[in-house]
Amino acid sequence: MATTLEDPVLDLPFDVRPDPEEFLRAALRWHFSPETGAPFWVERARSFDFDPVEDIRGFADLSRFPNLANDLRDVPARDLVPRGYGPDPEIVGVYDSGGTTGAPKRVVLLREWTDRMLAWSSAQLDRHGVPRDVDWLQVVPTGPHMVGETFSRQTVARGGWPFTVDIDPRWVKKLIAEGRSAEAGAYTEHLVDQLAHPLESQDIGVLLLTPPVLERLARRDELVALVRKKVKAIMWVGTQMDADTRDLYRTEVFPDTILVSGFGNTMLLGHTCERPGLTADDPCVYDPFSPYMSLNVVDEDTGEPVPHGERGRLVMHHVSKGLFLPNNLERDYGTRIAGPEGQVGDSVADIAPVKVFDDEVVIEGVY
Amino acid sequence: MEPVALDALGPSGPYRARNRRVVPDVSGTAVAELSMVPRLYVDRALAALRRAPVLPVAERTAALADAARIFLADTVEGLSFETYERSVSRVSGVPISIVRRAAAEIAEAAEQAHRSAYGARPCGAVTDWRDPATRDGSGVWTRRGDVFAVHAAGNHPAPHALWLEALALGYHVAVRPSRREPFTPHRLVAALRAAGFGPERVALLPTDHDGADAILAGADLGLVYGGDDVVRKYAGDARVLVQGPGRSKILITADTDWRERLDTIVDSISFHGGVACLNTTAVLVEGDPGPLAAAIAERLAALPSLPPDDDRAVLPVQGAESARTVERYLRAQARESKAWLGGEGILEELGDGSTVLRPAVHQLDSADDRRLGVELPFPCVWVAPWSPEDGVAPLRGSLVLTVMTRDDELVDRLLDEPTISNVYHGDHPTYWLEPGVPHDGFLGEFLMRSKTVLRG
Repeated sequence: MATTLEDPVLDLPFDVRPDPEEFLRAALRWHFSPETGAPFWVERARSFDFDPVEDIRGFADLSRFPNLANDLRDVPARDLVPRGYGPDPEIVGVYDSGGTTGAPKRVVLLREWTDRMLAWSSAQLDRHGVPRDVDWLQVVPTGPHMVGETFSRQTVARGGWPFTVDIDPRWVKKLIAEGRSAEAGAYTEHLVDQLAHPLESQDIGVLLLTPPVLERLARRDELVALVRKKVKAIMWVGTQMDADTRDLYRTEVFPDTILVSGFGNTMLLGHTCERPGLTADDPCVYDPFSPYMSLNVVDEDTGEPVPHGERGRLVMHHVSKGLFLPNNLERDYGTRIAGPEGQVGDSVADIAPVKVFDDEVVIEGVY
Repeated sequence: MEPVALDALGPSGPYRARNRRVVPDVSGTAVAELSMVPRLYVDRALAALRRAPVLPVAERTAALADAARIFLADTVEGLSFETYERSVSRVSGVPISIVRRAAAEIAEAAEQAHRSAYGARPCGAVTDWRDPATRDGSGVWTRRGDVFAVHAAGNHPAPHALWLEALALGYHVAVRPSRREPFTPHRLVAALRAAGFGPERVALLPTDHDGADAILAGADLGLVYGGDDVVRKYAGDARVLVQGPGRSKILITADTDWRERLDTIVDSISFHGGVACLNTTAVLVEGDPGPLAAAIAERLAALPSLPPDDDRAVLPVQGAESARTVERYLRAQARESKAWLGGEGILEELGDGSTVLRPAVHQLDSADDRRLGVELPFPCVWVAPWSPEDGVAPLRGSLVLTVMTRDDELVDRLLDEPTISNVYHGDHPTYWLEPGVPHDGFLGEFLMRSKTVLRG
C-alpha cells in the first residue's frame, strides 16, 4: 500500500522543480494516509472540518489548516515523522525553534530532506561564487538549533571542514530583553575572542557568522587583516544588515571578499541565500526553496497578502515528504517581494521581529 | 525648494547614506535629508579619530578662531549663513533673532574656547610638563582620554558652544546631531574641519539609537543632553557627563520689591522663546504670589504670535501634533492650580500646519509643589509662595537660581546646596551666560585631571 502512496514527485532531485499542485496533492496523500502519514497529522486530521486530501487543491488552501505551532511545543517528536519511513527513519536531528518566550517548537530533520535542501543551497553558494573545497569557520548556534549542524554538513559536502564556535542565542536575547546590553556586548566580544584562534591557525576560506559578531570583528585591525588575507567569502545570517553597512564592508573593510547573506527558519526546515545579482541599493531578497519551503507576507489583522513592497507578518509553510508544517504564523515581519517565475508564495526582504521602527516621543524637558 | 542633503562628516569626507531621515520644518515641509550612518561607520570613524595625531595647542586655538569666522560668514557645504539661520529657525521653531544671537555666541565661544577651557585648570597644575614648576614637582593638567563624544541637543543652537572646549583641550570630537535640528552641528563641524582640524579630528555622525550607543562606547568620554530618563540611564556611568533638565528658578524675598525687577523676571521666562535650559521654570516669592503672577501674565500675554523666521518673532513654534501633545501635558499637570495665562489653551495655529506655543502662567499654593520642576519648551512658569521656613529645599535641582534678596546668609546657603549649579544674586536674568564662566561646572573639570610630574 505504501508504495502506491509514495509518488515519485516527492523524491525529485533538488534541481528538478515539480509542478507545485501535483506535488502538494501527492504530499497530502502521503501525510494524511494512515499507512504513511505521521501519527501527529493522522490524529489531528480527525478534528478538521475539511478533508486534507480532497479539499486542499493548491498552496493557497494551506491557510485552512489551523496554526498547530503550539502543538509542536509538546508533541512527542517521533509522532511527527511519517510512518512511511518505517520504524527506523534516518534523521539528522531534532531541533528547536526560538524559545525566547515559553517552550520552543520542535521539529525533526530527516536525512533525505536535509540532503536535498543542502544540495539546493550549495548550488546557490556556487552562483554567488563561494568556493568549494575550502574550510569554513562557523560562528552560529549548535545545540537545539538547526543552523550549526546543517552548515557543518553542507561544508563537508562541499569538500571542506567545518571549524565551529558556538552561540547561545537565547541567552543573548534574554540579556537584550532585560536591558543588559553591556553584558550582551561582552558575550559578543567573547565570541570574537574564540573565533580569533581558528582564524589565526587554520586555513579558513569561508566565515559564517552574525552581523553583530562581524561588526565586532571589524573593530580589531589584526582580525580584519587575517580575513583579508585568508577568507574568500563571508556569509552572514541571523539578523538583517542595512544596505549602507553591506556597502561599507564591500568597498572599505573587505573589498576583495564575497559577502553573501542567508536566511533560515526552523519552521521552514532550512535556509536560503540571498538572491544573486542584487545591486548595492537593493534590500537582501530571499527566495525560498519552492515548493518545499514557501511563505506569505500578510496583514496580521486580515490575513490577506500585503501589497508588494509593504511590510507584513510572515506565514511559513514547509511541505516535503519528510515533514508537513503548514500555515505557521511567525513573530517576524518582512517586506513582500515578488518571487521568481514559478515560485510558490512570496519572496521576502528585511526580516525583523518588528512591524515599524517608531520614533521616540519626549514631552517634558527642553532638549 | 528641494530638501538640502545633510551628509555625515566622517574620516574620509562627507558621506551620503542610503538611509536618510527627512528633517521637517514646523509646517511639516521637508527641509533636509539627513544621512544616517550605521554602526559600522561609527566604529570606523571613531577609530580614525583615535588614530589622528593631536594638533599643537597654538594650531588648535588658531583653527577654532578661523572656524568662528567661517561659521558666521562663509558658504559651508553649500549653505549660506542666511539659509542656515532660516533653516534652523524653521525646523526648530526657535525665533530667528534668537538663532542669530546663538550663532554669534557659538562663534564667540570658538574664539574664546582656549581661554574658557583652560579657565578650569586648577591653580596647582601647569599645562606642560616642561614648565619649570615640575623641577620641584608640580601638578600637570592632562586629558582623561583622546576621543570625546557628544549626543547633541536640538532645542536651541547655543549648547553647541560648549563642546568646542574639548577641541581646545586637544580632544578629537564626534558629534551626534539631534534629528530635529542637525543644521548647527553640521555647519560647525564642517567649519572646524575646513579651519584646520581636518576630517580626522572632528566628525558629525547622525545615527539611530544603536549607533548612538556605539558613539559613546567607542569614545573615552561623552556628553549627553536629555531629561530625567537620560540622567537615570547614565547615572552610574562615570564616563558620561549628562546635561539634564534646567529647571532654573527665581527667588524673591520680602526685602526686595519684585515690581522693580519685573523686566528681568519676565525676560528670564520668555527670552530664547522659553526653549532653553536657562529659562526660568518657576518663580518663588515671599508673600502673596497672586499680584506677581498677574503682572507676569499681563506682560507675556502681549507677545505676538508669528512664524519663527519672522524677525519680530519671540515665541516658539512647533508642528501641530507635537504642539497639541505639549498642551495636553500642560493641561494634565496644571490641574487644581490657578491659571493666570494659558488656562484656556496655549496654541495658536499659523495656518500652514505650524502652531505657536503661547505663554502659560500658573500659580501653585505651596513651595513644595513638585510641579515647580515641570519644565516645558515654551514660556511656561509656575509661581508659588515661599517663606524662610521653606528654606533651600524648594530650590534644589536648579541649573540657575537667580535670588533677589538682601539676605547674604541665604545666598550662602543656596551656594552651598550641591544641586543648584549656578547662583545669580540680584537683578540678573537666569539666561545670563558668558564664555569663560561655568555653565554646569567647567567642562574641563570632567575632561581633565592633574598628574604630578617631577623631573630633574
